[in-house]
Amino acid sequence: MTKVEFLSKLADELKKNNIPDAEEIISEYEQHFAFKMADGFSEEEIAAKLGNPAVLASQFESAEEDKKGVGRKAATVIGLSIFGFFSGIFFVLLMAWEIVMAAFSLCSAVVAACLFAGISPRSLIPPMPSWPRVVFGLSLTALSVLSAVACIYFAAFIRQLMRSYGRFHQNTIAAASGNAQLPSISIVPRLPAKANRRIRSVALFSLVLFTSCFVLGTVLAMILSGSLEFWHAWGWFGYKIVH
Amino acid sequence: MNIQYKKGVLELCVMSLLKKRDCYGYEIAEYLSKHIDIADGTVYPILRKLKSEGLLTTYMQEESGGPPRKYYSLTSYGREVYEKERAEYLDFAKRIESLLKEDDHDES
Repeated sequence: MTKVEFLSKLADELKKNNIPDAEEIISEYEQHFAFKMADGFSEEEIAAKLGNPAVLASQFESAEEDKKGVGRKAATVIGLSIFGFFSGIFFVLLMAWEIVMAAFSLCSAVVAACLFAGISPRSLIPPMPSWPRVVFGLSLTALSVLSAVACIYFAAFIRQLMRSYGRFHQNTIAAASGNAQLPSISIVPRLPAKANRRIRSVALFSLVLFTSCFVLGTVLAMILSGSLEFWHAWGWFGYKIVH
Repeated sequence: MNIQYKKGVLELCVMSLLKKRDCYGYEIAEYLSKHIDIADGTVYPILRKLKSEGLLTTYMQEESGGPPRKYYSLTSYGREVYEKERAEYLDFAKRIESLLKEDDHDES
């Protein structure tokens, strides 16, 4: 194939594939011929080394995709912003739940402290003998730790979910405009292995402590009050059932 | 080796060359065909693709005794993408290499 044959075949194929700026591409190949010929190669040799014009033309990206990309990008951005609004509400909801859990953990800790100290601010803590009081205090301490762990894990989960969502946003726009995408992020938070192990053992320990102390406290209270319904025996609701 | 396999790697090679200095198209084609067995013409579609993705820019420069040449230059975004993809590729290649070498041990 001579230089002219190669270039005209390439021009035909580029046109067939609807590739923009064909002249620019052809001038690039023309220059390639010029450089190679200056080095003493024949036109046939150069054309053979360049490769098949039809195959080369098929490796260029066509204009149609580009044009479609612009419209698609606008549609994607509009769609994403609507979707983003609802996702925003969802994230607010998740954060509200995080606050509820934190408050629960804090309340458990305060009640446990009151039980240990034997104080009852505004008579909110019901009266009971010291043994079940300490055991219930222990149980609530464990519950407070357990919910604090849940809080930490849930916070990590929200953070990871937001990062993942951000990456999804970015990638969707990139895909619509034909740009390279970054790897997606998993929604499962990855804590360092050591911290993960520690958190798991703390959670397990506090769960066991909470359950066993709760059961033990209840049994103790039943025995000490001499009644299955010890809350009535101790008059927790302002009255006593007298048998 | 098959062409699809090489294509992504070729983009990396082009970027690594352009990270060192700006080049004109022919220079890049020569550099690649010297190191890797590909058809000379393959490099131009790659350059165009990288340019349309904003990884490269071009400018014309007059040369003594010849037509102006189109130079390719890596953009700062291109540099960023290159560093990231380079690290990913090297890590990938390392894993594959150790995997294939393991296979070698099994047979002997």
